[in-house]
Amino acid sequence: MARTTAKRIANIKNFAIFGLIPLMIFALVLVTPFIRGIFYTFTDWNGFEYEEFVGFANYEASLADETFWKAIWMTFGYVGASLVLVNLVGFGLALLVTIPMRGANILRTAFFVPNLIGGVILGLIWQFLFDQALPTISENFNLPIFQENWLLKPDTAFWSLVIVTVWQMSGYMMIIYVTGLMSIEKDVLEAALIDGSTGWRTLTQIKIPLMASAFTISLFLTLRNTFMAYDVNLALTGGGPYRSTELISLHVFKEAFGFGFFGTGQAQAVLMFLIIAVAAITQVIISKRTEVQR
Amino acid sequence: MSVMRRRALGFTGVALASALVLSGCAASETDSGSASCDVVTEVTWLNTIKIEIQEQFVAAVDEYNATNTDCVKISIIEYPQGEPFFSVATPLYEAGNAPVVMTVLQELPDMADRVMDWTGTDLAALAADGTLDKANINGKQVGIPVTAEAFGLLYNKAVLDEAGVDPTAIKTRDDLEAAFQAVEATGRSAVHFSGLWWSLGAHFTNVYHATAAAEQADRLAILDGLKAGSKDLMADPVFTNWLDTFDLLKEYSIDSASIADTDYDQGVENLGTGEVGFWFMGNWAEPNLLQTDPAGSFGVMPVPISNDASAYGNDGISVGVPFYIIIDEEQSTPEERAGAMAFISWLLTTPEGQARWSGPIENDGMNFIPVYDGFTVEPTTYMSQDIAKYIAAGKSLAWINSYYPTGLQDVYGAAAQKYYDGVSNRATFAKELAAAWAE
Repeated sequence: MARTTAKRIANIKNFAIFGLIPLMIFALVLVTPFIRGIFYTFTDWNGFEYEEFVGFANYEASLADETFWKAIWMTFGYVGASLVLVNLVGFGLALLVTIPMRGANILRTAFFVPNLIGGVILGLIWQFLFDQALPTISENFNLPIFQENWLLKPDTAFWSLVIVTVWQMSGYMMIIYVTGLMSIEKDVLEAALIDGSTGWRTLTQIKIPLMASAFTISLFLTLRNTFMAYDVNLALTGGGPYRSTELISLHVFKEAFGFGFFGTGQAQAVLMFLIIAVAAITQVIISKRTEVQR
Repeated sequence: MSVMRRRALGFTGVALASALVLSGCAASETDSGSASCDVVTEVTWLNTIKIEIQEQFVAAVDEYNATNTDCVKISIIEYPQGEPFFSVATPLYEAGNAPVVMTVLQELPDMADRVMDWTGTDLAALAADGTLDKANINGKQVGIPVTAEAFGLLYNKAVLDEAGVDPTAIKTRDDLEAAFQAVEATGRSAVHFSGLWWSLGAHFTNVYHATAAAEQADRLAILDGLKAGSKDLMADPVFTNWLDTFDLLKEYSIDSASIADTDYDQGVENLGTGEVGFWFMGNWAEPNLLQTDPAGSFGVMPVPISNDASAYGNDGISVGVPFYIIIDEEQSTPEERAGAMAFISWLLTTPEGQARWSGPIENDGMNFIPVYDGFTVEPTTYMSQDIAKYIAAGKSLAWINSYYPTGLQDVYGAAAQKYYDGVSNRATFAKELAAAWAE
């Protein structure tokens, strides 16, 4: 008996040393604000204090807000386009840099570097590119495509956001896909080769199914990051022109801090959380089904 | 926050970069010179009023900290310019670290319950007639004014002289067009018309709201009408007249419409170097213009919104208070409030403080047009004198934009940018302006 008690105490001690501090931080900076945030949505909170409970009024007002819906559809469009392009480019790059060739490692690093630049700086760099560099190049070489500053028209500003996102995130996804490709056993590939499988067939029927978990991770990360995108949005377009490229995060920020509507802003943040949670869970469930057990 | 943002956007790069560096709030460290004090009261001041005079404000704080005998030390809480006021103030309040002194405009009603009442104070008694009204909320004097600023059509005097244009002789929209053509005849472009959301959304829309009626009560009634959905803008001849002026500025603008954020600096450069004769902006741009051309003279004139020279407001420039000083009462101690008052009194009533407040930029002054009795220092720049003439002649228009609810100018700005870009027509523009009040 004494021995098991001692063991239990040792266990608790170990947990306290390794687990308690992270758990406390998690509770303090994530769980507490989250619960308080939900609580505030049912009050007439003005950013400083609340006086009374208002039921679902903040949610009703949010759902009746046209600009909120506009931000949601804009976000869905942005997530959809980015999801496809980031992963296509990321996977393409992964295939490219796993070809045995000189300089593959340098290429890997080069493709990954954009991911190390913070979103705000990235936004400013691309603002300059769209505003000055690309129009100048286009004019000199008589290319019609970038002659106008892309950030000044709603459609092109949207695609600017997507382009910068792809540029930033595909390098990261590439690393995950590279890991996936490298984890496929050589014997499987050799067997396929002996059976006469061509490159395309090997890719679609052997490699991709065997590395499906890399797709699950990449799709999840892309989905989550693009749904929550804020810094690139703020620095690149600032939601402009005329509030046409405001994604949900930026919209929530403006609703609360710019307009002082803290109740509805918080309610919209909660709605945003629900949307992202549902989308992410759905995606993971679907992706998991396609993974094969070895 | 229009005013705080106006310059800030030109500095987006700087602001965002400093956001990365600051990542929070830093108090400026200066030693208090009053060593004889047992207890030095530290008084926090949020921000530096506005970015154009940031260095000058810091210099004033340093001088006060080094010389005052009030046993007060002022600490500036910096935050990235261009951030909404609430994004900085609410976390500080939540954390129990509310700043003692803040400067706000459209947030006055939101802050009214938690700040000190200035009624009966010496400083409030010194404030010029009419400058306290906007900050008087249900009988409580929530804040006192910082300065008066003006906006209208800025002009480069050298360019107009060369073109033979006398700005004081421009009484109607047709006169303005003739002046534009005269400037163009000298081989220049006539006007720079910025597509910046805050310039269009807060200041240019004010040209309509301020001239919509001759009496303030009627002008505010229009805002109420918009809120109630009963005001039809397109049926208002002043509004359509205003749109005609909008179109005229667009037509003669130097560039094809561009709503890039970098536009502010472009405007400074265009008017400063005499590339254009006019620019719709305000006197806060004068220091920037004088940096471009130190020997230049830059004035301000009205934006004519009618061809009837006697139409109300055709001959006035918009003059208003861009910020009010408020002092927190919820989380500050009486000593802190007294210290804040001591510093503000020093700035506004002593020769040293006044030299800081209204002295020229090159002498580390803030070049503010004083709105308090007893000022012995006055700004002497060309534009300041222009503004003083309009104020003395009673030709100043109200800043109805300071009555816009928090954030409304963003929506106004977006709608105006659409019209500016040719994406929307007059009817849509009017509808979007009205819809901005719906929430």
